[in-house]
Amino acid sequence: MPAALEIHGLCKTFGEKVAVDHVNLTIPQGSFYGLVGQNGAGKTTTLSMAVGLLRPDEGHARIFGADVWSDPSTAKTLVGVLPDGMAMPERLTGREVLTYLGLLRGLPRDVVDRRADELLSVLELDVAEKTLVIEYSTGMRKKIGLATALLHAPRLLVLDEPFEAVDPVSAATIKTILRGFVAGGGSIVLSSHVMALVEQLCDHVGVIDKGRVAAAGPLDEVRGTGSLEDTFVELVGTSDGGSKELTWLSS
Amino acid sequence: MAVELTMVRMKVAVLRHSMTGQRAGFVFMGALLGLTLAAGTIIAALSGADLLVAVYAVWMLGWVLGPVFAGGGDETLRPEYFTLLGLRPRRLASGLLMAAFVGVAPAISLLALTGLAVLGARQGVVAALVSLPAMLLQLAVFVLLSRVAVAVLGLALRSRVGAIGAGLANGVILAFLGQIWVVFVVLGETDGIPPVVTDLARRLPSGWGTVAVEAAGSADWPRVLAALGGMALLVVLLLAAWAALLTRRAGASRAATRGRRPIRATTASGAVLAKEARTWSRDLVRTHQLTFALAYGVCFAAAPLLMGWTGMLPWAGPVFVVMAAAMSANLYGTDGTALWLTLMTPGASDVRGRQHAWLLSVAPLAVVLTAGLALVTGGPWPMLLAVLPALLGGGAGLVALVSVYGLIPGTDPHRRGGNPLRSTDDDGAVTGVVYAVLMLAILTAAPAAIAAALLGWAGVAVGVLTGILWYWGLGLLAERRLLAQGPELLNMMRTGRRSSSGPSGTAGVRTGFEDLPRHEQIIVGLCFTVGAIPLFPQGLVAGYLKATGSPTRAWFLALYLPPWLQWPTVVFMVLLGVAIYATGVIIPYRRRKLSRAASTPG
Repeated sequence: MPAALEIHGLCKTFGEKVAVDHVNLTIPQGSFYGLVGQNGAGKTTTLSMAVGLLRPDEGHARIFGADVWSDPSTAKTLVGVLPDGMAMPERLTGREVLTYLGLLRGLPRDVVDRRADELLSVLELDVAEKTLVIEYSTGMRKKIGLATALLHAPRLLVLDEPFEAVDPVSAATIKTILRGFVAGGGSIVLSSHVMALVEQLCDHVGVIDKGRVAAAGPLDEVRGTGSLEDTFVELVGTSDGGSKELTWLSS
Repeated sequence: MAVELTMVRMKVAVLRHSMTGQRAGFVFMGALLGLTLAAGTIIAALSGADLLVAVYAVWMLGWVLGPVFAGGGDETLRPEYFTLLGLRPRRLASGLLMAAFVGVAPAISLLALTGLAVLGARQGVVAALVSLPAMLLQLAVFVLLSRVAVAVLGLALRSRVGAIGAGLANGVILAFLGQIWVVFVVLGETDGIPPVVTDLARRLPSGWGTVAVEAAGSADWPRVLAALGGMALLVVLLLAAWAALLTRRAGASRAATRGRRPIRATTASGAVLAKEARTWSRDLVRTHQLTFALAYGVCFAAAPLLMGWTGMLPWAGPVFVVMAAAMSANLYGTDGTALWLTLMTPGASDVRGRQHAWLLSVAPLAVVLTAGLALVTGGPWPMLLAVLPALLGGGAGLVALVSVYGLIPGTDPHRRGGNPLRSTDDDGAVTGVVYAVLMLAILTAAPAAIAAALLGWAGVAVGVLTGILWYWGLGLLAERRLLAQGPELLNMMRTGRRSSSGPSGTAGVRTGFEDLPRHEQIIVGLCFTVGAIPLFPQGLVAGYLKATGSPTRAWFLALYLPPWLQWPTVVFMVLLGVAIYATGVIIPYRRRKLSRAASTPG
C-alpha cells in the first residue's frame, strides 16, 4: 500500500537562504498528520513542493505512488490543497468559484451543483450567496478555500494553516468535517504553529526546524510523556533559555 | 516639519532598496528620456514664452494622465502605512507631498522648469528672481495635481459609472494629444503654435509660472503677484482637496453589485470563459481599461474630421483593438497568485478560455465600430477587413503570450491598497509592456496590410488566416510556457520578484541575468529598454513613413534630414537598435559561458 504522501529528499534554496534541506516525510494512508514548526521553518515551502506548486531543487514527492512532477494529472486529481494566503478567482461569488473549479476538474455539471450546495451550506457560506470572493473576510476565504479543496472528493488533503483567522464556531465546523474525512478513509496533512490544535486533531506529527525534520512519527512517540509544546520547545528552542522581556514595558 | 522629514527619509530609504538590476535599468532609462525632454524644454525656453507655455501644458498633462498608464503613479509611500498613527489628514497630506518631491520624476520636472529661469534671465535680473519661486510653485502644482487626479480617479473607479466616465475622459484627452497636429492644421498654423493654443496654455495652471516671469520682464507687478499668488492659492486648495480625498480612500475597489447571472457552462473551457467574462464585466479597472481604449480609438480616428478628412474615421475599430490589447497585456499578472488553481488542474485549458473572453469583450465592439464607420466613409473595405481580423487574432494571441513571457508580478487583488489603478509595484515595467504590445499588435497586422495594399480583396484572406494563426499559435506558445514554467511563474507572483532563484536554475527564461554583477545588470537592462527606440520609432516607423510618403515628421530624426541622408539614417537606426539588443544578449551569454568553463573541472 503506497503512502498517501511520500516526500523524499526535498530541497529548496532561495538565493542564499536554504529554505528546505533534504526533508523526508511519509504520511501513511488514513492518518491525520500535523506539521509543526516556527514561522519561516519551511512548512509552507515543503507543502508547496509536495503538491506541485513550487519546483524543488532536489527530491521528489509522490501522492499515492504518483509522482507529482512526472505524473501531475494523476497526482493532482487525488489531492485537495488549501494554500495559505493565495488569491482566488476574486470576482466570482463563492458558488461560482465552486462551479468553475468543479468543471475545471472535469466533474459533470449536476455533481458540481449538488456538491457546491452541500459545501456552501455546511460551511455556512450560503448566506453570502451574492458576495464576491474579493469582499470575503479572511475566515470566509479560508472556508471557500477548504470547499475548493474538498470539491472533487480527493483522497488526500494538504492544508496550510487551515485554522488561521477562523472564528471558533467555524473552526469547530471545519474540525468536524476533517475528522469525518479521516474517518471515511481519507488522509490529511495540515501545517500549524498551534500545538494544542495539532494535539487535539492529529495522530501523527512532524516537527520542522530550519528546513529540516527535527522529529516525525506517531504523536505519542514524538511527544513521549510530556506535552507537544514542551517537546517542540525542546526540539527547536534556542539555547539561551528563558524568554526575554521588553524593558520599557516591564519596569 | 518632523513628520515631513521622516517621510522624506523613508522614501529615500525605500527608493535606495528598490534600485536593483532590471528595475534600475528601467528607472535609468526613464530618467534618460526625461532628461532629453527637460533639455528640449529648456531649448524651447530660448525660443520664447509662447512655445514654453505650450510645452509646460504638456508636462502638466503628463503628470495628470501619466498615472493612468503607469499603474497609478508613484506610491512608494502609501497613505495606508500611516493610518494607525493618528495624523491629521492635512499633516498626512503635507508629509506625503514632501515625500512626493523626492524621486526621479519631480527632479526632472524641476529641471524642465528651469526653462522659467532661462526665460527670466533673458528679460532681466528681476524676472530671473521671480522665476525662482515660480519654478517651485509650478512644481508643487504639477505634483499636487497629479496626486489629486489619481485620488479622484481612485474614487471614480469604485462605481461602474465612475469607471466608464474616467475611461472616456482619459481616452478622449490622450487621443487628442496624440492628434494635436490636427488642431494646428485646423487653426491654419503649420509652422508655429496657433495663438488660440498659447492663449489657452497661459490660462492653464501650467502657464502661470511663465505668465509671472513674463510680467516681471515687463514690470507688470499686479500680474506677477496674481500669477504667483494664484499658484500659491492653488497649492493650498489642492493640498486641502488631497487631504480630504485621502480620508475617503479606503479598501479595494468595489465590484459591481448587479444581479448575478448563474454560470451555465458545462465544460472546463466553458467554465474558464464564464469566469473571465465575469471578471471583465465586474472588475471596474478592466471596465476602465476597455472604455479608455474605446474612447481613445474613436477620438483618435475622429480627430481629423476637424479638418474635414474622413480617411481615418473607419480606423477607430482597429485602433481600439490595439489599445485594448496593450491595456490588458498583463492578464495573468493582474490575477496574482490565483494561478495556483490553474496549476492544480492540469489539462483544463486556461489560456484558450482567457483568449475567448478577451475576444468576446473586444471583438463585437470592434467589428460594429469598423463596419459602421466604414459604411459612413465608404471604405476602404479590403484594407479594413484584412487588418481587423489580423489584429483581433494578434491581440488575443499577444495578451496571452505577453502575460506569461513578460509576466509582471502584481499585488493580489484582495491585498491592493486604496488605489485601484495600482496592481503592481513595478510601474516602469507596466509602461514598458503597454508600449511593447502596442508595437507588437501593430506588427501582427502588417502581413494583412501589405497583402491588402498589393492584392486588394485577397488581402482579406491573408488577414483572416494570419489572425487565426496568431490566435492559435501565440496561444499555444503561451499554453506551453504555462505548463512548463507554471510553478516558477507562481513563485514570481508570490514573491513579487521577477526572477526566480535557486542553484538548479529552473527559472523562466534562464538568461543568467541575476548572476551578473550589478553594473552589467544595469547595462543589460538598459540595452533591452533603450534598444527599442532606434529600432522601432527611429528606424522601422520612420522608414515606413518615408516609404508611404507621409507628411508626419513628429520626432522621427531621419525625416528632418536632407533627403539623401534619410534612408541611410533609417538603416543606421535599425542597425543601432539591433546592435544594442545584441549587446544585451551577448553580455549574459558570455558571462554564462565563462562561469560554465570555470565550473567544469579540467
